[in-house]
Amino acid sequence: MGTLPSGVIDVAQGFSPAYPLRQMEISKPKDLPYKFICRLYHEKGEGKMDFVQRKTADTAVEHFLKEAAEKEIPLVWDRYEGSLPQCGFCETGLNCRDCLQGPCTSHPFRDQNKVGICGKDRDILGVHSFVRLVVQGVMGYFDQLADFAKGIETKEGLPKRKDQAVKVLKDYKNLMEKGNMDSIGKFSKALIDSWKAAGVYPEGIGRDLLKVSQKLDGGIGEVEDILLWGFKGAVAGCAAQMLQGRLKASVFGDTPPSDVEVNLGVIQKNTPNIVFYGHFSPLLKQKIAESAKGRKIGITGICTDIFVPPYRFAPVTNYGSQEIPLMTGAVDLIVAGDQCVNPSLAELAKIWKVEVVSTEALNRGDLSSFAKEIVGKAQEAYKARSEISKDIPDTKEAAVMGFSPKSINIGKVLGAMADGKIKGVAILAGCNNVKFTQDQEIVSIARELLKGDVFCVSEGCATVGLAKFGLLNPKQRDANCGRALSALLSSLGKNVPAVVDLGSCENSGVSDFLLATAEASKKSLRELPIVACFPEANRAKAVARATWTVAMGIPVYFWPFLPVTGSQKTVEALGKFCEEKFGAEFHVVTQKMETKAKAEMLTKALER
Amino acid sequence: MKVIKVDPEKCTQCHSCDLWCGIEIGSLSKELNDAIHENPQPVPRVHVEGNNFPLHCRHCEVAPCIEACPNGTMRRDPTTGLVYVYEPTCIACWMCVMVCPFGIIAPSSSMHVAVKCDRCRNMEYPICVDVCPTKALVLEEREEGAAWYGYAPKRCY
Repeated sequence: MGTLPSGVIDVAQGFSPAYPLRQMEISKPKDLPYKFICRLYHEKGEGKMDFVQRKTADTAVEHFLKEAAEKEIPLVWDRYEGSLPQCGFCETGLNCRDCLQGPCTSHPFRDQNKVGICGKDRDILGVHSFVRLVVQGVMGYFDQLADFAKGIETKEGLPKRKDQAVKVLKDYKNLMEKGNMDSIGKFSKALIDSWKAAGVYPEGIGRDLLKVSQKLDGGIGEVEDILLWGFKGAVAGCAAQMLQGRLKASVFGDTPPSDVEVNLGVIQKNTPNIVFYGHFSPLLKQKIAESAKGRKIGITGICTDIFVPPYRFAPVTNYGSQEIPLMTGAVDLIVAGDQCVNPSLAELAKIWKVEVVSTEALNRGDLSSFAKEIVGKAQEAYKARSEISKDIPDTKEAAVMGFSPKSINIGKVLGAMADGKIKGVAILAGCNNVKFTQDQEIVSIARELLKGDVFCVSEGCATVGLAKFGLLNPKQRDANCGRALSALLSSLGKNVPAVVDLGSCENSGVSDFLLATAEASKKSLRELPIVACFPEANRAKAVARATWTVAMGIPVYFWPFLPVTGSQKTVEALGKFCEEKFGAEFHVVTQKMETKAKAEMLTKALER
Repeated sequence: MKVIKVDPEKCTQCHSCDLWCGIEIGSLSKELNDAIHENPQPVPRVHVEGNNFPLHCRHCEVAPCIEACPNGTMRRDPTTGLVYVYEPTCIACWMCVMVCPFGIIAPSSSMHVAVKCDRCRNMEYPICVDVCPTKALVLEEREEGAAWYGYAPKRCY
């Protein structure tokens, strides 16, 4: 007999099978519509139905789930259930459909198709699927920047600070052609040198993005080499995001921390309502807000940059529940940009007769007349929709958003860190992912970290999720924070909430904050106790964000696991190899963990 | 007796069934990400043949593997009628591998036992049927001959 693992077969006690009895029932959860089947077969299930989870932690969203179930309106959770079981090869990055000979998979348990038709083995497949996500994410940032810069160049918007805008545009040209990012941000010389040594310093769009995208198409290279090409793209993306932030500041002026209200209650009653979805040029936002001025039109936003000084658009909800605002019946017109907009909105909009305007249409004409057209359409839609019943919940939460490194006294934060009063800084980022209960992960992790005296900053959709639960309300600050952190925050200012929001994912609030911290502490970022986590990530942009955060020297924890786990070599390269090159690991966490354990892991990562 | 019915017209050769069979039945960790890196490599019990046909054990009413097994390792569950390998007594002679008309039984060189599909007899539902995205695999009742398993006419191989 060979080497049977112990416990699998015990002759004395009779035959025990190598696999346990699964006692799970695959049936609909009882308390529909608030729960859903989130995994069909992944759990080891010792009699527990632990693959059923709550759809959302947000009660305002839950309010509409029952109605959706009764009217049989498919929402994101229903579509997810419908797509189960998901493909195991795709989930672990062991597949490829880059050419027409495929699709190929690398079968982990068979000997004959271990490699794709062209010979890609599992390591190459894994690293390619990572780089593909990074490239896609970085292109998103470049697209936003190019759009915005073109608007300024063609004089569709007049910058407030002309000299600065001219300089940013020059930097933008420079980045695209030569890739020089010395003048873009306050990158320390050591950081730039480490990037140059690793070969990931940007060299112009041709070398950065076009070359990286071609790495996916063939050629021969080690896993580490291909991974570094991905990092090269990501660093260029970092520069693009930074330029977008600086261009915005030069055109509209600085964004001061401001009071906003969050959640479905912000939709206005008895007025036409326009909702901005996703990312599009801030100039168009400004033009729409200008045309709507004095006309009693409510403008709100989802998954978009809510600050275009002097205007601000209250966040209705975040990514996971972006379909819910339509169900209030009070939305008259959707302005849909790119990226974080679910295509399902088009079908849902028909049910409530909501107008949908896509900003990225071909031949859309000049911005001013387009904006006027949008506002006119919204008013007409409001009249036409007068018979549709409206149900706007009162749920809303006050929040202070839009901090920047300028409005935080970083010296005080560093002082508290040096004295050992606070354990470090945690960056909370990411969107929502249907695989997790909406907002639950990020809010629970943030609460644990705050209690443990960790200074938390957030950005993008993560901010909105945290704001819904009062973590951005200065009045609730002391209830959520540990004593030392509470003292630090109150010394920073009266209106500083428990979690400090550094703006949308369009702008470089977090990157600027990191660079400012490094500058103030006179240390490199890899020596400081800073950690980043993406507890509910879903977009390719989040992967790109995480990648350059690692390149800056900040360890990143990412959920759900990236589609690279099929390749041990790629996972190791993201860990050890990145630690060698950049001083930080990109952690791909595959184990199922409670939020408390996640928070502990993050706190432990701060003790480096 | 319930058997797995295969509809080749619905099969897209996605190999989901043999991937998940390898994880749920063949591996020790039972988790996708861990099973992939397990050593010895897990052996799936189902195999998708070139022309979109996932091959399972048919649990033949007159099973050549039971006949050929020299020491009674290949057995039939008297209640369900499913044929399975009693692993502790397997001597790795591969007689069953030779006689199986469908080529279902695989020699596991790392474990030195014969492995074959037992239609997940310890579970409520076969994993391959669970995971098949196109429902090419379904569990169906096979009525005929459900009563007799004790006797089989002598055959030559």
